[in-house]
Amino acid sequence: MQQRVITIALVTGLCFSLALFVSAMGKWRMPDNQQGYSPKQPIAYSHRLHAGDLGIDCKFCHSASESSRHAGIPSSDVCMKCHRYVTAPLDVTRQEMDLADKEKRKPVAVISAELKKLYDALALDEKFQPVEGALPESIPWVRVHNLPDFVMFNHQAHVAVGVTCQTCHGPVESMERMEQHATLSMGWCVNCHRDATREGINGKEVHASTNCTVCHH
Amino acid sequence: MTQFPDNIQSNEPEFHGQEAVAKAGFGSMDDPAEVNRRRFLEAAGFSLSVAAMGGCGRAPVETALPFPSQPVGAIPGRLQNYASTCAGCPSGCGLLVGTRDGRPLKMEGLPKHPLSDGGLCAVGQAQPISLYDSKRLTGPLLTGKPSDWATIDQEILQALGQIKAQKKSVRLVTPTITSPTLQTSIDKFLAPFEDAKHIVFDAVSSSAILDAHQQTHSARLLPHYRLDRADVLVSFGADFLGTWISPVEFTAAWAKRRAPSEDSPVMSYHVQIESRMSLTGTNADRRVAIHPRDQGPLVGRLAEKVAVLAGKPHWEKLAIGADDSHEKVLDELAKRLWDARGKCLVVSDSQDIGTQRVVNYLNHLLGNYGTTLDLENPSYQRQGNDSDVEKLVEELVANQVGALLVADVDLLHDLTGSFSLAEAIGRVPLTVSFAPREDEFAAAAKFVCPDHHALESWADAMPTSGLMSLAQPTLRPLGKTRALLESLAAWSGQPTTAYDALRAYWEAEIFPARSADAPGDFLAFWERTLLNGFAEIKPDQSTVGKFVADSIKPLDQQKVLQKESDAFSLVLYSKVGMPDSRHAHNPWLHELPDPVTKVTWGNYACLSPGDAEKLGVKNGDVIKVSAGEGRVPLELPTLVQMGQHDGVLAIALAYGCKGTDRFAKVGPQWFEARPTVPTGERLGKNAASLVEFRDGSRQTSLADVTLTKTKSHRELAITQKYHSLNVPAEVAPHGAEHREIVERTTLPAFAKDAHSGAAEHHFEGEKQLWPEDHEKTGHAWGMVIDLNKCTGCSACVVACQSENNVPVVGYDEVRRQREMHWMRIDRYYTSYGTGEGEEMDIDHQPMMCQHCDNAPCETVCPVLATVHSDEGLNEQVYNRCVGTRYCANNCPYKVRRFNWFKYPHDDTLQNLVLNPEVTVRSRGVMEKCSMCVQRIEAGKVEARSHGSPVADGAIQTACQQSCPAEAIVFGDMNDPKSQVRASLENPRGYRVLEELNVRPAVSYLRVVKNTEENTDEMNTDENKSDMKKHNGGSHHG
Repeated sequence: MQQRVITIALVTGLCFSLALFVSAMGKWRMPDNQQGYSPKQPIAYSHRLHAGDLGIDCKFCHSASESSRHAGIPSSDVCMKCHRYVTAPLDVTRQEMDLADKEKRKPVAVISAELKKLYDALALDEKFQPVEGALPESIPWVRVHNLPDFVMFNHQAHVAVGVTCQTCHGPVESMERMEQHATLSMGWCVNCHRDATREGINGKEVHASTNCTVCHH
Repeated sequence: MTQFPDNIQSNEPEFHGQEAVAKAGFGSMDDPAEVNRRRFLEAAGFSLSVAAMGGCGRAPVETALPFPSQPVGAIPGRLQNYASTCAGCPSGCGLLVGTRDGRPLKMEGLPKHPLSDGGLCAVGQAQPISLYDSKRLTGPLLTGKPSDWATIDQEILQALGQIKAQKKSVRLVTPTITSPTLQTSIDKFLAPFEDAKHIVFDAVSSSAILDAHQQTHSARLLPHYRLDRADVLVSFGADFLGTWISPVEFTAAWAKRRAPSEDSPVMSYHVQIESRMSLTGTNADRRVAIHPRDQGPLVGRLAEKVAVLAGKPHWEKLAIGADDSHEKVLDELAKRLWDARGKCLVVSDSQDIGTQRVVNYLNHLLGNYGTTLDLENPSYQRQGNDSDVEKLVEELVANQVGALLVADVDLLHDLTGSFSLAEAIGRVPLTVSFAPREDEFAAAAKFVCPDHHALESWADAMPTSGLMSLAQPTLRPLGKTRALLESLAAWSGQPTTAYDALRAYWEAEIFPARSADAPGDFLAFWERTLLNGFAEIKPDQSTVGKFVADSIKPLDQQKVLQKESDAFSLVLYSKVGMPDSRHAHNPWLHELPDPVTKVTWGNYACLSPGDAEKLGVKNGDVIKVSAGEGRVPLELPTLVQMGQHDGVLAIALAYGCKGTDRFAKVGPQWFEARPTVPTGERLGKNAASLVEFRDGSRQTSLADVTLTKTKSHRELAITQKYHSLNVPAEVAPHGAEHREIVERTTLPAFAKDAHSGAAEHHFEGEKQLWPEDHEKTGHAWGMVIDLNKCTGCSACVVACQSENNVPVVGYDEVRRQREMHWMRIDRYYTSYGTGEGEEMDIDHQPMMCQHCDNAPCETVCPVLATVHSDEGLNEQVYNRCVGTRYCANNCPYKVRRFNWFKYPHDDTLQNLVLNPEVTVRSRGVMEKCSMCVQRIEAGKVEARSHGSPVADGAIQTACQQSCPAEAIVFGDMNDPKSQVRASLENPRGYRVLEELNVRPAVSYLRVVKNTEENTDEMNTDENKSDMKKHNGGSHHG
């Protein structure tokens, strides 16, 4: 009897640990595979809001993607094109306006906590005047898509032939926080290159080279 | 761990491999350690699994920092070029500064520049590494301690006020300044002082040429030499392709006349008469080795002969005591010159004014003034005035100088000799140095006001009359340095920025003299000039007097150069890669093999083979050079140099500079590493102490130098014989026994048959080992190198190093044949006939990966790390390479380089020089020329973005871009209209080691020498194997 109990306990334990192992296997990845990487950013910028809800074109901010190897993270003054006027989410601003209406006073500028970080980085006060003695500083965005140093991915080349941003970056327009969608492994790149050469891109015939030095030089 | 002394006593054989390991006391072989096999395996297994697990983690978190506010036009990662002017020397070549993310990275020649015509020399190429130099001063020093500009200005103004009140003298010493704006501010600064003088001190000057023109043409000017117009070119020692006045300009002009074609088989005739073996000498059609004392008389003798031909023989003998062994050469030369009168040129680097006067006389007789020598629109590239310098020395010694300001030269290093200025300078009340590093004068000066690096500041230049060139900064100053112009302006009481001063000067002086097609609005003119880098303006015609023959005096064998007993005559020169001491801190230039000697790191004493034998010295044996009393003897390693005249000793200047001990630990540090610079010493020895003031100029030749052999030996790091493979004739494939690596022919033979000089093609139509599966349907990249244009100047080597992140490995690694340059220039000696140097030809052959279609390296790689692309490139994939080195062994051209170490990249400032487009290779991988695949890819992407095909010439490799001679052509061989395709059809074309059937994508154009058709006499005797170089080997065994 006792033996049976022990056996059952052992078998259950084994099943349990096997199940754990299998579920862990799903998360296991090849070394350097950063798929799903979604680090916390210094400012909780939402691609879902900007690219998805507001429908801003990717290349409006990542303009270098058309003319450089890097897509580039927009400089803070690009943000300021809109955020000089938009200082907080619409509902918060509305609330304040309603409240001001009710209280019969002029609405005060509401600055969201996240946008405050942007203004701080640019050394601007609430009235967008430069803060004396402070210098504008870069925002230390955490890099999400980071290829090894021996890989030279070229945005310009891909944008020029009409590869969409989502092909590699996934449904960015639905990501609250940016995450790495694809494995960005060499096999994944080469497969796409082969498919593109075979099938073309958007009906256009392309020659996506699979020479090593296209990326490794 | 025992350290090897740097100077090995006696000629002890070197130890390699295990033996060396054992010798060094590292893990002795007879001493079994306590670790047994089992424990070793346990430990290895454990550490491997730990390492593997460690590798599974997330990559380190990296931040990406965008600009807070992006400058207009700045696109992250995109190459941006700025037109500028090179400040490596006063030649004023056009510069195209390639910047990426605000960092100047790659110096290139400015296309269509009137002087340099798209070329740039090795020195110009090597500027970025001196910009990102952590040893540069970051701010002013006051008596050796860091200070701030306000304090410095206050103190200097006070001191200058005192000098003005006391009416003491002010001396400002600079090398040649071609910037009119800076010259104006110097004049403005000196104007208020009663006794003020600007002294132009060139460490290697052309003062005698200027002084001679003062006497013969009543104008102290340097003519603008037009080598492109010269059919016959005679140079007495002037190394115009290497170091003399404006080498890039001269190389471009010279090379234009060295391209005989089937339709017009003509080229210039170039004779070099010299004592040492210069780069120009190696390229001459005819080279005559002479003793330095004979230079003057030979010039005189030639003048006599030309005067006779001109029908107005000179009234007296011009040469006294000339060696008549060269009579025949001179007769022939005089005739050829006279036949080409008005289209020939005689030049000399002699610092003897008398000789230069006769050179002027020769050019006058030949009617060359106004054609090949332009004196009305002179050159300002050398303005050094040696008699002024001599006077300065006298004044300093006599304690007469109140203030001494020195910019861009190291007065205590470059101006030494039988006297020492150190003490005299200590007595000068006000000493100011503008040196960017703490050089010898800066260390002695009270104030050090470091100037910007040239890439950090605004400047202009007028290298020749009628050409104005602008230099613009390409990044903000890295330190708190200040431009020389701004310092002087601040002390003149009119503080201004260099930019404002430049704009003001240009608006007032240059704009009114603009050419007819220039915009009529200053702003438009300025912006156009800024975009182009230069502007051609109306030249200010100099007033030149009529030729005065009175000053011509007979040229004696200079008594001072008289050879007595066993004494040697010294010839001082500057190396192609080290024109002056300003570049002493540049590791790229130090590691660049000298184009002629192929020695890296340091200077040495060149001796002729005969003299070396007599003295019983071999390469590397240290000899003591003594030049009379009062001069400190120098101890230098010997280098035996073919073609040098007996009795001549040649030593390079600009070595032994203060601070060069920094290079002691350059390169990988491992237990057997020897320091590049011996502890407590400097890199090379300062030969400036042997320069002598004589007859109004600083003479770079000196007689009565005695040499004594010492017991020490310092092996020279020579790249010449590396990777040599000598295959005995009996094992060579049939027909390949006597195939030349460098094919050559003569002009008469070429005129008869354009294919003359070609090896018999035994191998054409040979069966292929592999099926023809390298179909190149798109592009087929290829390169053609014209060996007749290539001078071997090595600009391409540094261009490649800069573009492709080639590491500096240091003396010891080069010595171990582990240099990393992807491109090397092989030098071949061919001897024919008998006798001395004259009977010798030297060829230069740039050698890099040949991108073979049937690449031997590809078949032996076990991991497919080197493969063939469908565009004809032989690709090296670093991330796949496991470092078996099979490929390097199997490469018949020996162009593969192995990363024996992880070469140091700890200097974060210096790392800014790295090209982000090219992977920095790590330890254990093979690398080699990629034909600048990053540029090919960028060019293709750019063309694709515009929806157009890749235009011919749009993609240029780094080596091709900067070649001053335009000897390298690169392009798509599938494009029927491409330049490379046209070059491939040139009858002079051949491929190196064609018999191996490796089908290289790089081909060469045969050398054509403008000499008599006597190639049959060429001595291809294998016994002369020490002279003939089989670099790359005829065949791999």
